[in-house]
Amino acid sequence: MKTMKVTFQVNSDKVTLQVKPYETLLETLRERLALTGAKEACGMGSCGACTVVVDGIPMRSCLVLTPEVNGAVITTVEGLKQDDRLHPLQEAFMEKGAVQCGFCTSGMIMTAKALLDRNKKPTKKEIITTISSNICRCTGYKKIVEAVEAAAKRT
Amino acid sequence: MVLPEFEYKKANSIAEAVALYKGYKGKAKYLAGGTDLVPLVKLRLSAPKAVIDLKGIKELKTISRGDGWLSIGANVTLFDLKNDPAIKGYFPALYESLDATSCETLQMRGTIGGNILQDTRCLEYNQSLQWRTARGFCFKMGGKTCNVVQGAKACFANYCSDNAPALITLSAQAKLAGPKGARTVKLENLFTGDGKKPLALEEGEMLVQIQIPLKKTKGAYEKLRIRDSMDYPLVGVAVSVAGTKARACIGGVGLVPRVYDLKNVNDAAVREAAEKAYAEAKPVANATLTPAYRKKMVGVLLKRAFNKALQEGK
Repeated sequence: MKTMKVTFQVNSDKVTLQVKPYETLLETLRERLALTGAKEACGMGSCGACTVVVDGIPMRSCLVLTPEVNGAVITTVEGLKQDDRLHPLQEAFMEKGAVQCGFCTSGMIMTAKALLDRNKKPTKKEIITTISSNICRCTGYKKIVEAVEAAAKRT
Repeated sequence: MVLPEFEYKKANSIAEAVALYKGYKGKAKYLAGGTDLVPLVKLRLSAPKAVIDLKGIKELKTISRGDGWLSIGANVTLFDLKNDPAIKGYFPALYESLDATSCETLQMRGTIGGNILQDTRCLEYNQSLQWRTARGFCFKMGGKTCNVVQGAKACFANYCSDNAPALITLSAQAKLAGPKGARTVKLENLFTGDGKKPLALEEGEMLVQIQIPLKKTKGAYEKLRIRDSMDYPLVGVAVSVAGTKARACIGGVGLVPRVYDLKNVNDAAVREAAEKAYAEAKPVANATLTPAYRKKMVGVLLKRAFNKALQEGK
């Protein structure tokens, strides 16, 4: 099948790729660009482990076709670090022990980042509502919510 | 799960989308948010030759008021619609159903049009091809039996939109466009009751707009779910009250949302509607809670929704 030319910005890099029309953004990120922060768990849009931020909106990259993001600006967990400093969310996740097996972590952080970008001081209830988009199979939600609260105080 | 091969086309106008559809001789699917379509294609429940992306069509993205109607473009996301002040102020049942839909991230991707046009669901249907092949194909997959109810002559899949029942209580109508032109239908007439083809859409037709009469209502939406996030409704009950008249709509049970009109809202009328809705609901063992419990909750949630709508003075 014919491939398609797609151009988008991922983190600080502008990339142009030839992709399959039925390729998901998750496949492109992981297999063509070696950005393996976004994880595939359910592959059906239920769990949120593959969340990346596309034009400011958190998106399940397993449900997005790469041709759909032509021209978009994409941020993945790899793009959060600035210079040598981790993002406040990443620091807070480490300090609060909000990581158990770690499989949901990058999705959690990207979902929380999109929240903090649109709402600098979310209430605990708002954080819980947002974070409930993602599943942590270790059930470590309490510390994840605490970490997002701590990060919100720092940004 | 890997997607099967298909082509990707992007349309910039409704006419262009319809022309593309015709070009594929009915073997194409319209794509909006993809939160319903992509999993169906991954499970090989849908096998389009091409998907036609509608997100480039500007007129599908607007919310406008005029002539006593609120007109919502089909590609407005559930999240944007929920945060539109007109919705909370005029249509509390719709606000609550939007808020109850899935989770925030999927509300930001999923569209109101896609939510209404979603396929019906069943524990024995929304499975991988291998799973379904081992089990044997049911009516909805083109087989000759129902895998849930032995000896049944029809499909019992559930229509799981949270927002369609709320919109039906608000007497909303759907503006459609397709190869044969445009038409407008009452939303409650969009359902066929046929498991293989649950929506009364013509070949190549797409939803353009949802139109709601712009009148203030009181209302509520009650949803039976296991988790407070992401779940489809196991029962969904919307009620809207305007003056002394009210309308209730039950979703999540069976192929067609059931509508109950109340001429005078009072305790006796609500109780009568709850009893009737309970008696008429026919859930089967195709969702994550037992049919008996879901049936009971139809009546309970209807009364609860009326209490909430009327007491809070919304």
